[in-house]
Amino acid sequence: MAVTISPDVLRLMKQAQAGETSDSAREMLKTQIENVLMAQKQRKPVCQSPGFPTAYIRYGGCVNISELVAVLKEEIVSATGDGFLRPSMVHPLTRKNSGDNSGIGVPNIELEHDAAIDFLEIIISFKGCGAELGNAVRIFTPAQIGENAAGIKEFVIDTVIKAGGKPCPPFAIGIGIGGQMDVAAKLSRRAVSIRKWDDRNPDPMLAALEEELLAKINQLGIGPGGIGGKTTALAVKIGMSHTHTAICPVAVNFYCWVARRAGMRIYPDGETQYPFDEEVGP
Amino acid sequence: MKTARLTTPISKEEVTRLDAGDVVYISGLVYTARDMAHLRLKKLLADKENLPEDFEGGVIFHAGPVVKKVRGGWKIWVIGPTTSVRMEPYADMVGRLGIRAIVGKGGMGESTLKALAEYGGIYLLAAPGCGVVHSQAVKRVLRVHWLEEMGVPEAIWVMEVINWGPLVVGMDAHGRSIFKDIARKATALKEGWFPA
Repeated sequence: MAVTISPDVLRLMKQAQAGETSDSAREMLKTQIENVLMAQKQRKPVCQSPGFPTAYIRYGGCVNISELVAVLKEEIVSATGDGFLRPSMVHPLTRKNSGDNSGIGVPNIELEHDAAIDFLEIIISFKGCGAELGNAVRIFTPAQIGENAAGIKEFVIDTVIKAGGKPCPPFAIGIGIGGQMDVAAKLSRRAVSIRKWDDRNPDPMLAALEEELLAKINQLGIGPGGIGGKTTALAVKIGMSHTHTAICPVAVNFYCWVARRAGMRIYPDGETQYPFDEEVGP
Repeated sequence: MKTARLTTPISKEEVTRLDAGDVVYISGLVYTARDMAHLRLKKLLADKENLPEDFEGGVIFHAGPVVKKVRGGWKIWVIGPTTSVRMEPYADMVGRLGIRAIVGKGGMGESTLKALAEYGGIYLLAAPGCGVVHSQAVKRVLRVHWLEEMGVPEAIWVMEVINWGPLVVGMDAHGRSIFKDIARKATALKEGWFPA
């Protein structure tokens, strides 16, 4: 998966290239798409930075996933030795590099048990860290939310302007709304990691908010690479939870265009599905 | 919009001739340098110790490559720009070292804009997320500094590049920054949408 990007994202990149009116923006998108095709052909990682890995695992019934978690850690170390992942995991304070992408809490594992499902789903998402530098969290009071959530919209737009070209545009944005700070942050990462970037939010209110924010962001003129153009974001994805009557936490989370992620859903009868339209299996 | 082909060592005159928006291709020596390398250089300068390289007329690349060990040395497997603004606190030091071109992504801030004008330098944007494309321009690794202590991404890799580009002049030596211009226009738009 390091040698390509998610097929839905590549599809959006190609659409954006066709729709760009600025020469430099079109040229930037062309180079970015070419880079993916070269990486696929040469079996090289698309980007030198692997970002940080999170695995989203959903399972039902009595599936035992303890072995799966161990295998994930081993696979990341093994892919590092093979030149697919640059050794990038360090101790947060001493900055000592482990040399093989092993480390405490690597990969981050997000488990969700749902008794109603009979499959095991695993989505691995490597998210770049230039993108991470633009992220922001704010705990709104009810007064600050404003009419039609204008306060939240302004916060998102402000965060995008401040981030500018740093999160490797064209990026996608995950927005987490609700819970407390930790919940909003997790929802923001999750929304942009497990959903297809060209899907539609099943909640009509959130779908409208996603569309409005995406349209506004793409009027800002930041453009691919941050040097101008109308393709600043490919998608806005919102995840929501209920919150306390006193607050409204909002987290904004960037995902660079080099969306390295892959997923797999396995049913008890052995049937396998790929949530991002991957054409080939692992 | 001009296109310039620069070969290291690059003179002050060559970069001050360029304007934001111009396109540059570089040949010669390029040093990778990220957070830890900048920090170490700063400490060496403070302690009046020798630096591992003479950076005068040089090009630094905000990047940490994927490398492969090959017979007789190293190969740059994939290399692309990292977020430059992390190196903003070292703007003046980089200027004083005589570095003529900083290559990275995302742009930098006011301290860098000031240093570029004061010492004569440019900031170049390399296409972000395009590590395979950029690696095609790298011909060989000449040497590497501080690999053991800092690890692969943070070490200084001294590489020879040929015709590396297109790189866009994002910030010039005359105080102009494409990133700043875009942010100013975007902020004006936002203030119209959300009046105070």
